[in-house]
Amino acid sequence: MIRKEFREIRRDPLTLWIAAAVPLVFLVIFAYALRIDFDEMPMAVLDLDRSRESAELIDMFGNTGDFAVRYRPGTEREVGHLLNGGQIRLALVIPRGFARELAAGRTATVQTLIDGTLPSTGSVIRNEVEAVTATYGVRLAGRAASGPLPVGPVVEARVWYNPALRSSTFIVPGLFSVILMAFPPLLTALAVVREKESGSVEQIYVSPLRPWEFIAGKMLPYVAIAFLELASVVAVGLWGFGIPLRGSVAVLALGSAVYVFCTVGIGVLVSTVARTQVVATLLALVITVMPSFLFSGFLFPITSMPPVVQAYTHLFPARHFNVVSRGVFLKGVGLRELWPQIAILGAYTAVVFTVAALRFRKKVV
Amino acid sequence: MSGGRLWAAVRKEFRQIARDPVLLILVLWLYTIEVAICAYSLSFDLRDEPVGVLDLDRSHASMELADRLDRADAFAVQFHPTSEAEARGLLESGDAQLVLLIPRRYEERLARTGRADLQLLVEGTNSIMALTALGQARRIAARSWRELLRENGILLAEVPAVENRVRVWYNPDLRFVFEQVLNSIALAAYMVAVIIPAALIVKEKESGTIEQLLVSPLRPTELVLAKTIPMLVIGLLALGPAMLLARVFGVPFRGQPLTLILMSAALLVAATGTGVLIASLVRTMQQALLVAFFVLFPVLFLSGTMTPVESMPRPLQLVSALSPLRYYAQSLPAIALKGSGLGALWPDLLAILGLGSVLFGLSAVLFRRRLV
Repeated sequence: MIRKEFREIRRDPLTLWIAAAVPLVFLVIFAYALRIDFDEMPMAVLDLDRSRESAELIDMFGNTGDFAVRYRPGTEREVGHLLNGGQIRLALVIPRGFARELAAGRTATVQTLIDGTLPSTGSVIRNEVEAVTATYGVRLAGRAASGPLPVGPVVEARVWYNPALRSSTFIVPGLFSVILMAFPPLLTALAVVREKESGSVEQIYVSPLRPWEFIAGKMLPYVAIAFLELASVVAVGLWGFGIPLRGSVAVLALGSAVYVFCTVGIGVLVSTVARTQVVATLLALVITVMPSFLFSGFLFPITSMPPVVQAYTHLFPARHFNVVSRGVFLKGVGLRELWPQIAILGAYTAVVFTVAALRFRKKVV
Repeated sequence: MSGGRLWAAVRKEFRQIARDPVLLILVLWLYTIEVAICAYSLSFDLRDEPVGVLDLDRSHASMELADRLDRADAFAVQFHPTSEAEARGLLESGDAQLVLLIPRRYEERLARTGRADLQLLVEGTNSIMALTALGQARRIAARSWRELLRENGILLAEVPAVENRVRVWYNPDLRFVFEQVLNSIALAAYMVAVIIPAALIVKEKESGTIEQLLVSPLRPTELVLAKTIPMLVIGLLALGPAMLLARVFGVPFRGQPLTLILMSAALLVAATGTGVLIASLVRTMQQALLVAFFVLFPVLFLSGTMTPVESMPRPLQLVSALSPLRYYAQSLPAIALKGSGLGALWPDLLAILGLGSVLFGLSAVLFRRRLV
């Protein structure tokens, strides 16, 4: 049975290629593309003051590297057009009398308009704009005052595990769980549903093969593929992206083994529900890929979700594997901290297989 | 091309789709419930993030700061470690991602020199979140200090200063929900419109019925059209509940419905083109679904639906220019939030249509070559 399945996989090189290569493509694209900060964001400046001070402030925006002053509109209306047309996401407006106010020792007001249609970018822009303005303020105050400036509390960050706050260090260990949730379940589900669609599953029912042997035979080759995928993705993560591996390989292997069986089990479960391959694919999309992307803490912090949805995230094993993966790779913690997650993954796997076996038996009898 | 023949073929496709209720339910799920859950819960904003505070100063100033931290929407002070080792334990176990260390003589230093250092221990595994948290904590510390000065009746020396009045257009509170709802709709439309036509065509290939169709009076163009039209209709109809849902989430709709329909139709056609192209490349259903599924995902994320295109490295930005979804994903918020019409969006529309015709042209060529 296992041999038959392997042969079938081999006969279909395209599928094999997808199973082998696409996870790596995922890894590379996501590690590079999932950022919300930016470089040289095009901006517009409407300088109505045309003074030395206003030019200085504009230069500070350009010098950060985050912004690039590309447009110099002459009127507020033009600024509006640029924002509406989407050429820029922010515009700085310096009113007449800016330098005069400063010279008088008063607070001068400038205005920044931000396009809020992309809120994540919008809030990064707002933070940067405030930081640039504050730096300029400190520089002005430094010229005016003598002696040390009262700057207030200075929050110094000590960032652990990922001191440079590189997004790939954060993304890659989380991607392991996503990739394993995306590929093995779908491959397994399609392999079983294919037999259902073509009717050859009936032959298997009447053959001496027991249901569990059928499932195991279908499953094991995909478990093997899943492990290969994991190994290749981890290798690229470690050597390609320089992700540290601070914890023990044994704990990682244990957690991954449980998780891999779990993902393949979900594939079998999907196959007992779906009658056609299209349905199996969409079902896999809804119950494996989307949740492991969105509700596993891979990208979006779970603590920010409403309590109901936080409870909902527990339905998906990816959430727990993420803790294991990040724990081992980045934090270097061991079984003492991670055993609850591994136990939960084990419980999951048991439930998934029991339900799948029950549903399968019902069909057969 | 004959209208009657085409109509019969379209009717057959509709009947075939309708015969599988699970499929329709899943499509509807993607368009509504998945959109709702995403909109309801996904955000890079922090909300009641558990924080630890190690207060070694125990002064009025330090307590004011801790209290302000707790009152902020982003944070909830849940832990009060008593030593640095304990604080470290919180980060290791993952109970808290942030611990604020207030050193001894914090208040005194602030009063005497006008400056005091605070330390924020950040669990940096989620870099996006860590950056947000750091920014928020800095703002809160500054505000706490200003409050103290005000209480004591101290005014900062008269120095020139710059105030930057930031005004956010279209989405003044920078609410994430809008982006999330609109993106999810774009994603759902695209995914469904790629997968289903690809599956429908490959099904005919696998079962061999495509040969029958090809020797029938139905022309290849009509065959492809017959597979495209149902998707277009279903996709546009599904837009109804999706927009209704957007309304429930308070997403404003400032543009013209007609603009939305036109853009969506263009996207659906281009997506169907992708599906047909996939169908012409593969042999079996399994291959079609796998290709559709896994080629889709990188496309989805390169299209700026997850993170902005501007933030990507340049080569990936260029790749994303080839994705019809990118133009749709940027015009959907423009239509809804800015109220933009075709006057502003025609380049996007042209790009989608252009890519769509390339995809269709390519698949037509491939189809013919395979079959002849």
